[in-house]
Amino acid sequence: MNRKNKLLGNIGNFILFMGPSLFAFACVLIIPFLYGIYLTFTDYSPIRITYEFVGFSNFRAVFTDKEFWQQFLKTLGYVLYSTIFCNLLAFILAYLLTSNIRGRNFLRAGFFTPNLIGGIVLGYIWKFIFANVVTKLGETLDYQPLKTSFLTHPDRAIVAMIIVTVWQYAGYLMIIYIAGFVGIPREVQEASEIDGATGLKKLFSVTIPLMVPSFIICFFIMISRGFMTYDLNLALTNGQPYGSTRLAAMHIYQKAFQANEYGIGQAEAIIFFITVAIAAVTQVLLTKKFEVEA
Amino acid sequence: MKKRLLAMILMLVIAAVTVTACGGKTADTGSGGETVGTTDPGTSGGADTKKPVKITYFNTSAEVNTMFENMFKRYNELYPHVTIELIPTGIGEGQQEKLQSLYASGNAPTFMNVDPANVIEYQDHLLEFTEENAPWLSLATDGAVDGGTFDGKVLGAPWSVQGYALLYNKRVVDEIFGKGNFDPASINTRDALEEFFEKCEAAGVPATMLHGANWSLGGHYLTLVYAVQGPKTEDGTGFIDKIKSGEVNIEDSPIFQGYMDTFDLLAKYNYNKSDPLVADFNRDAQAFAEGKCATFFMGDWLWTTLVTMENIDTEYGFIPVPWSNDPSLYGNSEVVMVLPKFQCINKSQNTPEQQQAALDALGWMLTEPEGQQFFLDAGFYMPYKNVRDDIEYNSMTTSIAEYAQKGKTINLGVFSYISGDVWTETGNLMLKYLAGAIDRDELAKGINDYWRSIR
Repeated sequence: MNRKNKLLGNIGNFILFMGPSLFAFACVLIIPFLYGIYLTFTDYSPIRITYEFVGFSNFRAVFTDKEFWQQFLKTLGYVLYSTIFCNLLAFILAYLLTSNIRGRNFLRAGFFTPNLIGGIVLGYIWKFIFANVVTKLGETLDYQPLKTSFLTHPDRAIVAMIIVTVWQYAGYLMIIYIAGFVGIPREVQEASEIDGATGLKKLFSVTIPLMVPSFIICFFIMISRGFMTYDLNLALTNGQPYGSTRLAAMHIYQKAFQANEYGIGQAEAIIFFITVAIAAVTQVLLTKKFEVEA
Repeated sequence: MKKRLLAMILMLVIAAVTVTACGGKTADTGSGGETVGTTDPGTSGGADTKKPVKITYFNTSAEVNTMFENMFKRYNELYPHVTIELIPTGIGEGQQEKLQSLYASGNAPTFMNVDPANVIEYQDHLLEFTEENAPWLSLATDGAVDGGTFDGKVLGAPWSVQGYALLYNKRVVDEIFGKGNFDPASINTRDALEEFFEKCEAAGVPATMLHGANWSLGGHYLTLVYAVQGPKTEDGTGFIDKIKSGEVNIEDSPIFQGYMDTFDLLAKYNYNKSDPLVADFNRDAQAFAEGKCATFFMGDWLWTTLVTMENIDTEYGFIPVPWSNDPSLYGNSEVVMVLPKFQCINKSQNTPEQQQAALDALGWMLTEPEGQQFFLDAGFYMPYKNVRDDIEYNSMTTSIAEYAQKGKTINLGVFSYISGDVWTETGNLMLKYLAGAIDRDELAKGINDYWRSIR
């Protein structure tokens, strides 16, 4: 009797505290997601009044959509490079800003600021910089590669996107790395110093292994955000020049809403979701292996 | 136990607050609508007997959101029982997506101002304009409703006319040729255009400018190839159908080859040649308006951008974009005239009362002098017979109107069928061609492949 009451009480508590958020989560995420999967098997369009079941033809169309796979590869490259450079820069910044540098609080705040500006605004700011400031610089220095805008050449436009992404997220990851640095127990550091570990040796043998949790988080953030990049893509290049910088998310969006191929776009989104999930989980599992206890 | 009770009460309060907050909106609008009806009844004849109606208006002409807002405010003063809510959109803000989401969620706007391509896309949802329900539409100038007519049904009401071709800066051209020596009608062959360009260059003025954006080159320039196939809309759509079925390739058309030859000429004398894909609209507009180049492939909508700038020239005119060396051929001495937007009424998700209110409001906006004045003040050229004729338009619109009076216009009805991602995709190919990344054969192949890939 008492046990049964307790169980009921537990369920009641669960509903009381988890219910509202679970309800919201289901409404805006779970249900639309499942409904989205269902729609991939139909020729749904918001415009048409009726729609029919079409089986796997949307998925077949995805596999023949050459452009999707091209942009998919490009997105992989973009994610890879922005993850590497962003983490590298963030780590170096964190390393420098945890040493006794003057004005480090000011510098920390400064490096973090770009992250507070939204992707759209950031995109427009950098668009102006690439189109006007950099070209002016090229003219003043008479340096040919800078004379034309970064955004008008397919390869350089992707580089421009990586530069802005690194600039945007480096400060954010830096904060996480700083927390990681600060979290390393003093006694471990002192012990390693007594054992004669200095400078780089200490960094690679003591600090970095102890900071693996920070790396896991930072890599995860960059990989998942990199794949999802849309706002920056839209504001900075909008797919230009000639559609070469449409990252996967933008391609899916245009397929669904501009080409009015809603089913195909949705199918691409599902495939994309699976890829991102696999990439993120693999990364977490792989890096977890390097985790050590102090 | 007491604590739990307290927590439970708190949670309930929070839940109640959220629920009422969400529901508040609908309750608000209901009572808001009522107050309009009850507080000032009868400011205009018979309004007090009518039930208050609330209708929504979706606008894709982002540059004139305020114009519509003022118009609806005035309409509400005249007819207090009708409240029109404007759903504004921003330039490049994903207008199509917003409209789709409104339709998908069952909140379709009662009436809307959209591209002709949308009229085709949404035709199942749209109310047909007939003699009975929209007698005012008979005031439209001849042929103006054709662009909004599909399968014999008039689904869209026109409200503005725009045009595009090669704009030229009159001051700059006068300086080169001497005042009054340049006759725009003399440019009716490609050779004449080239000669004109060479003279400009000889005078030290870059001859022309291409805006390196896919909407300009794909939506406007390449569309000329379809439109000039013949004076009727069917000529253009028939040509597209033949490409789709594989019966012809676009490169077989002398018109395509001709326009691409002219395009090469434009690209050769392009002011933006060193970095043709920058596509900064304000920068290009400013450069042209300051007289840094003599001509610009653009339309009269450029004016709305220019009025915000200072120290610029105000006198402009259009010259055609000739595609061959035979002045008698269609397209060589004509400029494009297009009805870029149409007004449509939704019948699938609005009540008959709302539809009727929208019909009445549209009639007032488009054909009553007071409604028309709003459009005229914003500088629009309206395709209606009863528009007052003492209006002074800006120099670009005047130039288009002059061509129209002489019948020297290209019918761009085919533009209605350039929907979805046509102009982005084919425009991207044009940009590749402009940047030298592909040659003309690859361009033609890309365009053929595109048309054959869509359903």
